[in-house]
Amino acid sequence: MTDRTFLWLAQVFYAVSCVLTLRRMRAGNSGATLQRLNYAAMAVGFALHTVFLYLRGKADGRCPLTNLFETQAFIAWAAVLFFLLIGPSYRVSFLGAFTAPLVLLICLAALILLVDVVQAHPATRSAWVEFHAAIAILASGAFALAFVTGAMYLHQERQLKRRRLSSSFLLLPSIEQLDTINIRLLILGFVMLTAGMLGGLVSYHIVGHWTKPKIIWAVSVWILYGALVLGRGLWALRGRKVAVASMASFVLMLAGFWGVSLLWP
Amino acid sequence: MNLIVIGLNHRSAPVEVRERLAFAAGGLGEATRALLNAAPLHEAAILSTCNRVEIYCLATSAAEATQAARQFLHDHHKLTDSVDAYLYEHHDQECIQHLLEVACGLDSMVLGETEILGQVKDAYQVAQQAGATGVVLNRLFQKAFSAAKHIRSSTAITRGSTSVGTVAVDLAGKIFGNLGKCTVMVIGTGEMSGATARALQSRGAGTILVCSRTHERAEALATQLQGRAISYDQWPTEFPAVDIVISSTAAPHPIVTKEKLIPLMKTRRQRPLFLIDIAVPRDIERACGELESVYLYDIDDLQQIARENMTAREREIAACQVLIAQHLQRFAIWLESNRTALEERYRKRTDASPLSKPVHTHAS
Repeated sequence: MTDRTFLWLAQVFYAVSCVLTLRRMRAGNSGATLQRLNYAAMAVGFALHTVFLYLRGKADGRCPLTNLFETQAFIAWAAVLFFLLIGPSYRVSFLGAFTAPLVLLICLAALILLVDVVQAHPATRSAWVEFHAAIAILASGAFALAFVTGAMYLHQERQLKRRRLSSSFLLLPSIEQLDTINIRLLILGFVMLTAGMLGGLVSYHIVGHWTKPKIIWAVSVWILYGALVLGRGLWALRGRKVAVASMASFVLMLAGFWGVSLLWP
Repeated sequence: MNLIVIGLNHRSAPVEVRERLAFAAGGLGEATRALLNAAPLHEAAILSTCNRVEIYCLATSAAEATQAARQFLHDHHKLTDSVDAYLYEHHDQECIQHLLEVACGLDSMVLGETEILGQVKDAYQVAQQAGATGVVLNRLFQKAFSAAKHIRSSTAITRGSTSVGTVAVDLAGKIFGNLGKCTVMVIGTGEMSGATARALQSRGAGTILVCSRTHERAEALATQLQGRAISYDQWPTEFPAVDIVISSTAAPHPIVTKEKLIPLMKTRRQRPLFLIDIAVPRDIERACGELESVYLYDIDDLQQIARENMTAREREIAACQVLIAQHLQRFAIWLESNRTALEERYRKRTDASPLSKPVHTHAS
């Protein structure tokens, strides 16, 4: 049994969560029991996911971010972490409903598409490098949840605009609540990303080398999210536009990550 | 020994008849005792709401009991004519089924409404305190309450609002979440706009502004709603702070147009705006709904949603009936297995005293 088995097992529980969600949507009532089961499935998935990262970290001898596969698994883990933290505290019903499919998609894409080589002796080791990478990954987790709340916003807003309400309309949160959580996630992610970038600057001085495309990508992501965060105050950027932008930004960030990692390994 | 319900509801009798047979809430306990004295019943409970008056009872002879109950209704309300044509009767299994349907709101005028369960609970409590219920009705009502709870939570029979006012409130909730910080502006003082504003207020809406061409009417409605009356020319100035507009003026042309709204939306920094247009002809140009963060619903939109919700409830009836059948069967089995013992006990009581007293749970 390899550490990947645990990641596969985690996917089973995320998939269970997706199925439970569909049942709740169909049933059309709030389904308190199903909601608790859903949260439990996500929590078990998260625990297995953590076991994977722990075993991989031990094998790597460092924070498991040595290749694209590991970073994808880590981003998905961070997304579930944020869901488990903010889901109950903000009482956002159905947040898990939209989180589970995204996490499942990221992990399955990584598990199936990516070549996963355990790097026993990574070229560079430094606490700053690890800090820089880990906090940037946590930021991605917050951005993943901003993607999720953005999707929920668009789902609700579309129904309000078209004046046609589905059976799940009354179960999902209000658009104002989604907008508020969305902006908070963006701010939190942006602060962490900024810290990660500063950590990267320090680690550049220590390690002394860097890949140009990766820097260009990182700075673009930072500017993109910076504009989103400042946009609310400066240009009254909110609601639908922010929802669309936070979804697009996350997709661009992930696509850029894959592109940079695969083209300039 | 039979379980019997005898009564009338909004389908069997017009309001002129129902109001004559209604029991005053304060005198219900006394009426129940009077009923037990007047009729050969072992146990009884009276349910009286604006849409129904029903006597649930347990008796040895169904024929005698119903005859006496009809007479009681006639005498108690000092009727001069017969209301027999408006009364329905259900016995045994049908009686149990009827109570379960009533408790779930399946027999209500607005299908699936939840107020009825509270009314049934109150009726039961009054009867119990009057000492009119015994082993059978106690168990029947308790089972009806748990059945109603079960059916409400596992079907969608109570879901979705079915009136214009409550649909508007639902929508406001899904736009703003907490309505506490919302300012509502009522333009025009029709009955429906007052009702909608009240519905929003009962869900916690913050400030209410009222404006009308006749300032006295604005003042009157504002006082009712504990809001503030503003003059008709003032509304554009107040508009940037407003989140929900309820419009119902008699104006022949739209008073809110897309052109007027665009600059106003800029001043409110794209915060969502919920426009409820219940006027005919409409007060708010349809194109306003195309603007970002503006949600416009006219009377037809709201009625359409209310109708769809009602249709969705109607689709749930079959699922409710399946659950009702299960609860009914469980109660019927219990009743059958205890029938002989209960009949025996009630017979002894009747022999001992001419007035039969309910057999209470502790006696069993």
